Amino acid sequence: MNPRTRKALEFVLDNLVWFMLLFVLVVFSIFVPNYFQLGIFANIIEASSVLGVMSIGLALVIIAGHMDLSVESVAALSAMAVGILFCSSGIGMGVQLHPEWLMVPVSLLLALAVGGLIGAFNGYLVVRVKMSAFIITLASYIWVRGLVLVISGGRSAQDLAPAIRWFGIQRLIGLPLTAWIAVGCFVVFSLIMAKTPFGRHLVMIGGNETATFRAGIRVNRNLIIAFVLAGAIAGLAGWLLAIRTSGATANLGVGLLFNAFAAVVIGGVSLKGGVGTLPGVYAGVLLLSAINTAINLMGLPANFTQVIHGLLVLAAVLLDAFKQTIRQRLA
Amino acid sequence: MNEPLLVLDNVTKNYGAIEALKGISFSIGKGEVVALLGDNGAGKSTLVKIIAGGLEPTSGRMLFEGKEFLARSPAEAKAAGIETVYQDLSLCTNVDVVANFFMGREITRKVFGIPVLDERAMEAVVGKALASAGTRIPSLRANVEHLSGGQRQAIELNRFVHWGGKLVLLDEPFAALGVEQTRRGLDMIRQVANQGIGVVIITHIMQQAFQVADRIVVIRQGVVAGDVARNKTSPDAVINMITGETLAGAGPAG
Repeated sequence: MNPRTRKALEFVLDNLVWFMLLFVLVVFSIFVPNYFQLGIFANIIEASSVLGVMSIGLALVIIAGHMDLSVESVAALSAMAVGILFCSSGIGMGVQLHPEWLMVPVSLLLALAVGGLIGAFNGYLVVRVKMSAFIITLASYIWVRGLVLVISGGRSAQDLAPAIRWFGIQRLIGLPLTAWIAVGCFVVFSLIMAKTPFGRHLVMIGGNETATFRAGIRVNRNLIIAFVLAGAIAGLAGWLLAIRTSGATANLGVGLLFNAFAAVVIGGVSLKGGVGTLPGVYAGVLLLSAINTAINLMGLPANFTQVIHGLLVLAAVLLDAFKQTIRQRLA
Repeated sequence: MNEPLLVLDNVTKNYGAIEALKGISFSIGKGEVVALLGDNGAGKSTLVKIIAGGLEPTSGRMLFEGKEFLARSPAEAKAAGIETVYQDLSLCTNVDVVANFFMGREITRKVFGIPVLDERAMEAVVGKALASAGTRIPSLRANVEHLSGGQRQAIELNRFVHWGGKLVLLDEPFAALGVEQTRRGLDMIRQVANQGIGVVIITHIMQQAFQVADRIVVIRQGVVAGDVARNKTSPDAVINMITGETLAGAGPAG
């Protein structure tokens, strides 16, 4: 094989999920009536912002060789905390701050802090006490959701303060600011993972933890930071979720975890750790969103969504195995 | 040899009731190559891990450059100038050659105060280091998982030659190497020692030990069973020390 085709082939393999996204968009544009519109594409990006942000945190931890099942519940708790404080009806306390814009940083910091704290708790138990990340974060997934139910009493908060809602309403080049926040997060964290020593170390820890420890990398510290980041990012996702729904309900975001997993796996992140990039994850998120939109437009019952997502995950895993075989032949 | 670089004084290690090391004492000079020999389970790898910061000794003390020394982590040992090449390779196969070479010591430049990996500078250094050692690897940007066992070991060896430090520990470094590469590896060890760096090499192959070492230390059942200059002993005598047929040097054998 000459170097040129080899390089081209490697490029395609590295960015396979983007080509899949392109393919799916083209196919839907041709076959689904009314799909090919700027508004639809904007909607795909908009609808994927919460899931996208949550997937970033999940991907970080999985790339580092661990697991965080708690992101969905953490997002719900952050959303509920923001909702209770800054909503004016339901169980909302309607806290007012002056000037009004002050509510934005305060609510955002609150959401990030709630997420970061739970992330730190998870990270401490996994890294220092050396318990399985799967079990620890499964426990968190359950108790944090329980906490949401406890503090809300199963009721909901509505009418989020307009100053905060502004982010969901104000548009820039056709997209609400919340979508831009998600895009911005992907850009920032993609750069961190690809260009900084911290990102490089996380990838290497996911590949061979013993080797990185022997090389003098502070493995424990890096892993705890990864868990805190995953929690804080989930908190941000919760903040976006509260804005999107203008409040919070006790079952807010149920099922997001599995979509996030699907997006991460479809995006080319290996559950074994050490493999995957964040741009790929974003493509995975957009792919899921593009398919959801098509299902809506075709008027299929929404119940089909789950079947298709499941099959998509299966296809992604098979594709990953197939990619490995090709790569081995290339080397 | 001249002044000792590292002195081990009655170092012991217990795993519960099992005494892996019952009191090891020997020293390594600057620019000296010490071959550490012993049967499987004699405690060689345990000893290397204690010096390299992977394990803490149960008792005993170490002097490094005349000062009390105890590495609580590999990072501390590395900071003191101790490089280690382990038996099971310490490479991350999911990243490329350059990333492995610089693992934990990446060259960065500041962009708005944030450290950013300087890939070009790192690639240049790795290219030079590998070329001067005569190691050929098709692409420095290839992930290590696609490289052969020999190429992987070559990366590890080049890594320690490049970083050097003051003391190098090699735990069976040639296990996956071919004849020619082993010869080159042994040359590398001499070259490193000539720069005044102390080298401890664990090996099972008597011939290698006699080829490269200045001194041979034999460990048997957790004690030093022999500590002799290479030119004052013979392979047969060393084998007898390993199996315990003759008792030479310090310490009881049981």
